Amino acid sequence: MIGQRERRTWAALASVVEPGTPGIRQAVAEHGPGTVLAALREGRWEGGTGSALRRRALSADGSRVLESTRRAGMRFSCPGDDDWPAGLETLDVVGPKDEIGGGPLGLWVGGAADLAELVERSVAVVGARAATAYGTQVAADLAAGLGDRGWTVVSGGAYGIDAAAHRGALAVGSPTVAVLACGADVAYPRGNAGLISRARVEGAVVAELPPGSHPTRMRFLARNRLIAALTRGTVVVEAAARSGALSTLRWAHHLGRQGMAVPGPVTSALSAGTHQALRGETALVTGVGDVLDLVGKLGIDAAPAPRGPGRPWDELPPARLAVLEALPARGLRTVEDVSRRSGVGESDVRVELVELELVGLAEAAPAGWRLGQRARAARSADRHAARAAAEAADGRSIGAVDGGAPPGGA
Amino acid sequence: MRLATCGCVALVGVQGHLVQVEVHIGGMPGFVLVGLPDTALAEARDRVRAAVLCSGEPWPQQRITVNLSPASIPKRGTHFDLPVAVAVLAADGRLPAGVIDGLVLLGELGLDGALRPVRGVLPAVLAAHDAGVRRVVVPAANAGEARLVPDMQVLGATSLAQVVALLRGELLTDCASTGAVDDRAAPVGAPPGPGVAAGCRAATPAACPSTGDGRAVPDLADVIGQGNARRAVEVAAAGHHHLLLTGPPGGGKTMLARRLPGLLPDLRRHEALEVTAIHSLAGILPEDRPLVTRPPFADPHHSASRAAIVGGGSRLVRPGAAACAHRGVLLLDEAPEFGPHVLDCLRQPLEHGEIVVDRAEFSARFPARFLLVLASNPCPCGHHGGSATVCECTPDAVRRYTRRLSGPVRDRVDVTVWVKAPSLVEMRAGTARSESSGDVAIRVAEARERQARRLAGTPWSVNGDVPGPTMRRHFAPQPGSMEPVERFLATGALSARGADRVLRVAWTLADLAGRDRPGRREVLEAHGLRAGLAA
Repeated sequence: MIGQRERRTWAALASVVEPGTPGIRQAVAEHGPGTVLAALREGRWEGGTGSALRRRALSADGSRVLESTRRAGMRFSCPGDDDWPAGLETLDVVGPKDEIGGGPLGLWVGGAADLAELVERSVAVVGARAATAYGTQVAADLAAGLGDRGWTVVSGGAYGIDAAAHRGALAVGSPTVAVLACGADVAYPRGNAGLISRARVEGAVVAELPPGSHPTRMRFLARNRLIAALTRGTVVVEAAARSGALSTLRWAHHLGRQGMAVPGPVTSALSAGTHQALRGETALVTGVGDVLDLVGKLGIDAAPAPRGPGRPWDELPPARLAVLEALPARGLRTVEDVSRRSGVGESDVRVELVELELVGLAEAAPAGWRLGQRARAARSADRHAARAAAEAADGRSIGAVDGGAPPGGA
Repeated sequence: MRLATCGCVALVGVQGHLVQVEVHIGGMPGFVLVGLPDTALAEARDRVRAAVLCSGEPWPQQRITVNLSPASIPKRGTHFDLPVAVAVLAADGRLPAGVIDGLVLLGELGLDGALRPVRGVLPAVLAAHDAGVRRVVVPAANAGEARLVPDMQVLGATSLAQVVALLRGELLTDCASTGAVDDRAAPVGAPPGPGVAAGCRAATPAACPSTGDGRAVPDLADVIGQGNARRAVEVAAAGHHHLLLTGPPGGGKTMLARRLPGLLPDLRRHEALEVTAIHSLAGILPEDRPLVTRPPFADPHHSASRAAIVGGGSRLVRPGAAACAHRGVLLLDEAPEFGPHVLDCLRQPLEHGEIVVDRAEFSARFPARFLLVLASNPCPCGHHGGSATVCECTPDAVRRYTRRLSGPVRDRVDVTVWVKAPSLVEMRAGTARSESSGDVAIRVAEARERQARRLAGTPWSVNGDVPGPTMRRHFAPQPGSMEPVERFLATGALSARGADRVLRVAWTLADLAGRDRPGRREVLEAHGLRAGLAA
C-alpha cells in the first residue's frame, strides 16, 4: 500500500504530465516520483526552465488534486496500488510508438469495482464512430457474448461501435469499462453521457487525466494505448482506412496482445481499415467463440471443446440413435417412415428429430427429413477410414487367402 | 282510418335497423313509395297490388303514399312487401284498428299472394327484439329461424290471406314451417277461411332449435396413415392455429381439411346465433335446421372473386365465404391459384375477426373469425419435393409458386405440414388403427377448455389468437425449455416471429397433453410441426 504522501506526489505528477509522454515513467522508476517532480519544477526536464510543463509543475498541488478527485466521486489509483492493473506494466517494457509511450502515472477511476479485477479477463471492442447497422449489431452481439461468458468489455465510450459494445455488455448485466481521453468526470461525447454513467455504476470509467480535463487529439492516441494495454486482446469491428481504432489495434500488436478484426462487406469503406489490418498479423474473428479461442487461457477459457475423436452420435440415448439410423443420407423420409423403420412412436420421433436437428445430425426439408450435415460428414469419414483399413487388410491377407478361404467368403 | 303504420327491418350487413312503414290513403288514384328504396323495393308496388287483389281484398282506388322511415337508412330487399301490403289494408280499414301497432312483418309476396321466404330473417328479428318488438310475422319457411330469438312471439304464414286472417282473429294459431310446402302447392288466392287452418300446425313460440348434425362431416377414421398430418390437424383444431397443408396432388390434403370441422367443439349458443344470422343472410340456411350448431365449413373455388370471399353486392350485401366460415373452417384449396388480391383481402378478417364491406352509403360488417386452412401443391405440376414422380417445373417456377402464398396471410399460419400419399405399406398397416374424429374431438374439447380457463379475463380464448408479445410476457413455458428455440434463433434457422409461433403451438401441445405448461418436449414437437418455418 502506498502512503498518503507518496500518493499526493503521484497525483501531482500525473496531473502535470501529458499522458503518454515518453521517458517520464522510466525516470520515475529510476529516481522515484518525488525526485522527478522536483526535477520538473526546477526545469531540469526537456524544455528547460521556461517551459509550460515547468509552470504547470510549479503550481501543481497533489493534495488539491486528490481533494477535487474525491469531490468528483472518484478515486486516484497509482502504480503500486492493489487495484493497479498488471497489464499496464507492459507499457513500460515496450518502447514508445509515434512519440507516445510509457505507462500512465496514475488513473482516475469512477465506479466502485476493483479495476484490476475487472480487466483481469477483458477484451477491448472498438471501432468506427460512424458505424453501420451491421457494425453496431456485431459489436453489441460480441460484447453481449463476452459478457455472458464472464469477460469484461473495455472500450472508449465513443459513438458507434464503442457505444454498441458498452451497450451490449450492459444488456446482459455484465460490467464494462469505458476508458476516456478526458477527465473521468467529463461525459464525452455528450450524447453518450447516459451510457457512460451506466458504465460507471456497473463497471468503471477510467481516465489518465485529472477531473475536468478536455480531450485533445494526442490524448485520444494516448488513451488508445491504455485500452490495448488493459485488455488481453483488441477487436476492431469496423474501421475506415484511417480510423483511430486502428491505432488501438497497432498498440495491441505492439504490446504483444492479440489483435483481432471483424470482416465486413468488401464494398464498405467502413471496413476498409479492418480488411487492411486483416492482411497483416491481425486475426479474423466472426463471433465470441473465435475471440475466446484467441485470448482465452489454455484449458481454462477454451471454447466448448470439439466432441473428441468419437463420432457425433456416440452417447445419444437409444431412441434418438434409432431415429438417427432410420434417416437417409440422400432423399427424404417422412415422420411415419422414420417411425416404422426405427420402431419409435411417431410422437417421440417428432421430438427426437428436432433434438437431432439441434445438434446438426438431422435436417428438415418441406417433404421430410434426412441426415444432417454433421452426420453425413462423419459417416463419409468413417467410410473412408473403413475403406483404407480394408485395403490395408487386403494387402496383408493375400497369403491367408492362399491358405484357405475365410468362412463366408467368396 | 286513412293512416296506418307497421314495422319492418332494414339490414346493413348483419346489422338490422327498425323501419316504420307508414301508409296514407287519400286523393287521386296512384301509388308513391318514398324513403330511400332500392329497385327491388320500388317494384314492391306492383307485387303488393297483385297480391292484395289475389288474396280477395279490394285495392283502394285512391292515392296511396308509402313512407319508409327513417328515410336516411337505405332499404334493400323484397321483405318489405308484406308490411307494405298489410299497412295498405290497415289504412284502408280492412283490419281491426290497432292490431298492427308494434308489429314487425317480413316477407316477399308473390303475385298470387303467397308469402315467400326471404334472407336475413334471424338478424332482422334479432334487431326487432333489440328495439323492443315482441311480435313478428314471417314467412312460414323462416319461422324456425325467427323462433331462435327468445322472448318473441313468432307468427309464421304462407300467404297474405293467412296473415290477414291472423290479424283479424279469424285464425288462432300461426302456420308452422311444416305446413309451408302443402300451402304453397294449394290453389293460389284461396280465400281465407277455416280450410287454411287445417294446413297449419300449432307451434310453441319458443320452439327448440334443432341440434342435429345435419350434413355429415366426413370422419378422420377414413384417413389412412398420415400420422404427422393428423397430428397437425388435431393441433390446429385444438389451438385454433391456421394450417398450411403442402404436398403432391392426391396426397389427401383436401381430405384432411374437410375433416377438420368435425374435430371442433359444438358452437356455444351466442356463437350459433352469430353463425345462423350470417347464413340466413347468405341464404344458405337449411329450412329444417334453422340453428347452425356445428362449426361451418366453406371452401370457395380458387376462381372465386374478391366479392365471393369477403362479401359484396350493391343491394343487400351478401356475406362472402369468409363470413360464412365464421366460427368454422375456411379451406382455400390450391391456395396459390387464388388471385393475389383475393388472398390479400383475408388480411382484415385474420387480424380483426371481422369483415367490413364499404359502400358509398353504408358499411356492412360481418363477423369472420375462422380457422384458415391453406392447401397447396409444392409447385405448378405438384411433384416437386416428392419421390414418386419427377417434377417438371423450372426452379424459378417452383419459387414463384410458393411465393404467391407469402405475405400477411402466410404470416398467420402457425402449423405447416407436408402431406404425402400413403405408401402401400402404410395402407396395409394403417387400416386397423386410424382414430376416429370423435376420439380426437374429445381431446380437442379438453384442450380448448384448458385454454379458456387460462385465458379467462383476456380478449382471447384460444392459443392461436394470442399475439406473440403477450405470449412471451405472460405465458412462459417451463424454465429452460425454450433453449432449443434460442439455439435455432442464434443460427438463423428460426425467425423471431417463428419463435412466437413455436411457443403458441407448444402451449397447444401442452393443453392437448394435459400439462400445466409446455416443456422441452412440447417446444421441440412444436418446432417439428414446422410451426416456425413460414418465416
